[in-house]
Amino acid sequence: MENGKSLKFYKKPIRVLLAKPAIDGHDRGIYILARAFRDAGMEVIYPGLLPTPESIVNTAIDEDVDVIAISLLNGAHMAVFHKLMTLLKKRKVKGIAVVGGGIIPDEDKAKLEKIGVSGNYGPGTPLSVIIEHIKKRAEEARSEK
Amino acid sequence: MKNRGSEIADIVNGIKKSRRESIARAITLAENEETLFPDVIKRIYRKNMQTRVIGITGAPGCGKSSLISFIGPKLMAAGHRVAIIAVDASSPFTGGSFLGNRIRMQESLEKSGIFMRSMSSRGSRGGLSMSITNAIIVLSSAGFDRIIIEPVGSGQSDTDIMDITSTIVVVLSPGFGDEIQAAKAGLMELADIFVMNKTDMPDVDRAERDFRYYLSTVPPDKMVHEIIKTNAISGEGTDELVRSIENHEKGVDQTAFYKKIFETEVLRIAKDMVAVELEEIARAKSEWIKRLSTSGLDPYSAADKLLNQINNQS
Ligand SMILES: Nc1nc2c(ncn2[C@@H]2O[C@H](COP(=O)(O)OP(=O)(O)OP(=O)(O)O)[C@@H](O)[C@H]2O)c(=O)[nH]1
Ligand SMILES: [Mg+2]
Repeated sequence: MENGKSLKFYKKPIRVLLAKPAIDGHDRGIYILARAFRDAGMEVIYPGLLPTPESIVNTAIDEDVDVIAISLLNGAHMAVFHKLMTLLKKRKVKGIAVVGGGIIPDEDKAKLEKIGVSGNYGPGTPLSVIIEHIKKRAEEARSEK
Repeated sequence: MKNRGSEIADIVNGIKKSRRESIARAITLAENEETLFPDVIKRIYRKNMQTRVIGITGAPGCGKSSLISFIGPKLMAAGHRVAIIAVDASSPFTGGSFLGNRIRMQESLEKSGIFMRSMSSRGSRGGLSMSITNAIIVLSSAGFDRIIIEPVGSGQSDTDIMDITSTIVVVLSPGFGDEIQAAKAGLMELADIFVMNKTDMPDVDRAERDFRYYLSTVPPDKMVHEIIKTNAISGEGTDELVRSIENHEKGVDQTAFYKKIFETEVLRIAKDMVAVELEEIARAKSEWIKRLSTSGLDPYSAADKLLNQINNQS
């Protein structure tokens, strides 16, 4: 099989699972993120709806992602992230960082940080900020794999 | 950070216990061409003659992923251990990629628990990834006996799929001139099984007629007559498709298939090794090559000279 461009160019791209746990009608936002991540050289796994924390964890494991990025606009963030982080711990998953985003009140942000969900950017955050954050978390995650 | 030895041992033991994270990790090592990978392969490799690799190919959007969401669970119900690899193209500008084949499979994967991995082509042409054979070897060694491959959607004659599969299903769908594209691209010679998907669409009869006409122009020894009609939304026709795949498998010479996949991979690895070595030599000799450039010597004679030097050294 032919390989095209120099291998170095494609070396070890960051793998991100872009997860959407609820139908909250913001597909467009998700696609904008997906495109931005791809253009930043990442491999973006987009599975459509991942209704349960179990389905998020199972998918993240098969795909061996570095980062799970979850965007939530429907206010259910605390419950979803709590379940997800508990499950990741229970299944002893190592080397996968969780990054959040959406409409998240400031008081919740601190709580989320505490359980390991970082970022938690609101709408209007420059894409470059989100991308830099994901790169940083991916690097940390990889050192724990 | 674990040390190298314990990292290898973790992955190897995990694969022996069929742990999904270990299998997934090994595939990543292959994709990233980590130096750990050969050490993992050497410890897990087993010649699993039961493994069949089924390629589902066809134009973008013809319904490959949707069909796989039915085929996978049905093969599983027939007693197989099934894994899926679906490839999407990488961006030639950034190297990144949008891996979206799960969208049509996710529900089915969650119900069945089938292992599924999305891969980027990472710059490979031909609709696959350079590391696809390594991924197949990992899965096969881990005990999966049916591996379904979805290459990048293409109307082109991506014949690379022939090197790694034992059964090729070519999917057509009405409305986009697929049938003519397939004919032009030489997909007809590739196929073991033809599928006309989206039978719920109004143009399907015309599409099938057109396609049959083109089929009649293929040399008879290479012709596949049967076209299976499916609807990959309702699942109609997918039982028949699975039966047809199983029928085709019965006629596959597994020893020859194994030999083909093995040979292709050994050559790829060897080429890779030579390429790396050559690059090192070229770097070491870069001053010498630069001097030749001013000597008036043509590039072919200069390359001859370089090879002579290398041969004399080893
Ligand atoms: N009407 C109809 N639509 C279908 C059928 N099969 C698939 N589709 C739709 O066709 C679109 C593409 O389906 P996919 O399964 O993603 O096709 P694909 O060949 O995997 O596409 P790529 O991976 O992008 O090349 C989706 O919107 C499907 O819902 C079918 O039998 N009938
Ligand atoms: Mg697809």
